[in-house]
Amino acid sequence: MIQTFLDSWALFHTTYLAGGAIAVLLSLVGVWIVAREQIFLGAAIAQASALGIAALLWFTGLGAAASWPWLESRAAADACAVAASVTTALLTAAPSARTGARGEARTAWIFLVAASLPMLLLAHSPHGLEEVHRLMFSTLLGAAPEELWSFAGLALLTVLAVWRWHDRLRLLAMDPEMAAAVGMQTRLWTRVIALWLGVAIGLSIRVSGLIYTFGCLVLPMLVARNLCREVRPMLVVAPLVAASTTLVAFFFANHTDVPPAHAAVALLCALVPLTWPLRKT
Amino acid sequence: MTTAHAAHEAGGPAPFLFRLRAASVGYGAEPVLRAVEWEVHEGETWFLLGRNGSGKTTLLRALLGLLPIAAGTLERDPTRASRARIGFVPQRCEISPSLPTTVREFVLLGLVGLPSVRSERAERLGAALARTGLAGLAEHSYWSLSGGQRQRALVARALVRDPALLIFDEPTEGLDPPSETAFLDVVDGLRREGATVLFVTHRLAIAAGRASHLALLAEGRLLSGPIDAMLRRPELTEVFGVHAAKLS
Repeated sequence: MIQTFLDSWALFHTTYLAGGAIAVLLSLVGVWIVAREQIFLGAAIAQASALGIAALLWFTGLGAAASWPWLESRAAADACAVAASVTTALLTAAPSARTGARGEARTAWIFLVAASLPMLLLAHSPHGLEEVHRLMFSTLLGAAPEELWSFAGLALLTVLAVWRWHDRLRLLAMDPEMAAAVGMQTRLWTRVIALWLGVAIGLSIRVSGLIYTFGCLVLPMLVARNLCREVRPMLVVAPLVAASTTLVAFFFANHTDVPPAHAAVALLCALVPLTWPLRKT
Repeated sequence: MTTAHAAHEAGGPAPFLFRLRAASVGYGAEPVLRAVEWEVHEGETWFLLGRNGSGKTTLLRALLGLLPIAAGTLERDPTRASRARIGFVPQRCEISPSLPTTVREFVLLGLVGLPSVRSERAERLGAALARTGLAGLAEHSYWSLSGGQRQRALVARALVRDPALLIFDEPTEGLDPPSETAFLDVVDGLRREGATVLFVTHRLAIAAGRASHLALLAEGRLLSGPIDAMLRRPELTEVFGVHAAKLS
């Protein structure tokens, strides 16, 4: 089994490493989502990224690519996905100015719009529908080396930011009123975090798809929550869980010839109830 | 040393921690409080009284710098009333119950924003927990504490900052009588140690016997002064419907 995995390394190492880097990156930004009890927001942002890509495909389908060939590049798809996810993250980051509500209904509305519009936009475009289905299905097999380096760089930056500002991030996530009272610029911090969340999800969605992106965003943190007594160690445990689980899942997926992204998400899902008895309240 | 401090050293009045002059505070175009004149000095125990919606929390938010002064001025002592020297105890804590945290982690988060205190964290934590009757509970889950103990953990989180001014925003709301008594004992202990306290409540009985000064918020105005003088004011009876002097 090990030999089979090692044999596949030459062909799939970019996929494996990109999957690991995405898992670490998303597990860290997912701390915010889980701590603020905005788990569904993660799905809405990921779905909005898919809408961004679908809008691009629709636009190019109208003949725009003839004038602007760049629109058919990966960079254009990334830009549209990130623009959509960042916009969604910023729109949903702050409480509603009118009602003060955190906006669960708003998040659900965004999710449903972003889930239905791509199908309508691309209903008559076989290539476009195929791309949307690929995003929904989740596959890591198309990861390119430059994308691996992008995710590795983003993951490293996130690790450094969390290490540098973990006290502020924890206080803001746990008790924003107190964070404001001790002088934190909570509005600015919240927007920067939303921006980072949007960039991480927007870039991940095209490479890894909705299921893997959403799974790595929330599941490692849910496992870490069962294993830790404080939020601080969760910032270390969540990425470790993400990295180790994806490694094991990719190993298993290679051996049994099943999709690696789904194997990783299924394993993370299994870990949540399995670690529940270890929860220290 | 400021001019006010120099005057105090020479036997004058204690220097103010903050002073509001002709201040209006509120949200949007319509101020909740108008023409507020108020001075708080070191060592005083102020109770802010008023009905629900009278602007108590609005005023606190202005003092904490969370709400701009719409008109007039708010002067602070730059060293003793800076953000770093204010300990704030909110009415309740917004932490998600699904997040695991210990008393230690919870209280130490009060140090956020303070420079170079890493070496004294353990010492500050121990002192804050001891002063709030939570010594020995540092490693306990925050969620295993009773409601009253959680409120005292909020006080410990404020005390860990070594504040010159402690601000309480209706901290006893929702506590059962024994928990409220235990909480107020902690506040009394802090008063006896000479802490400057600002306590917001709408219950006059809590203020009686504890306050050195009262501030009454009603109909967009703030009336303030030493407790003896304030208890004789008819406005207090109008707001609370009792002869307040009987409580003195």
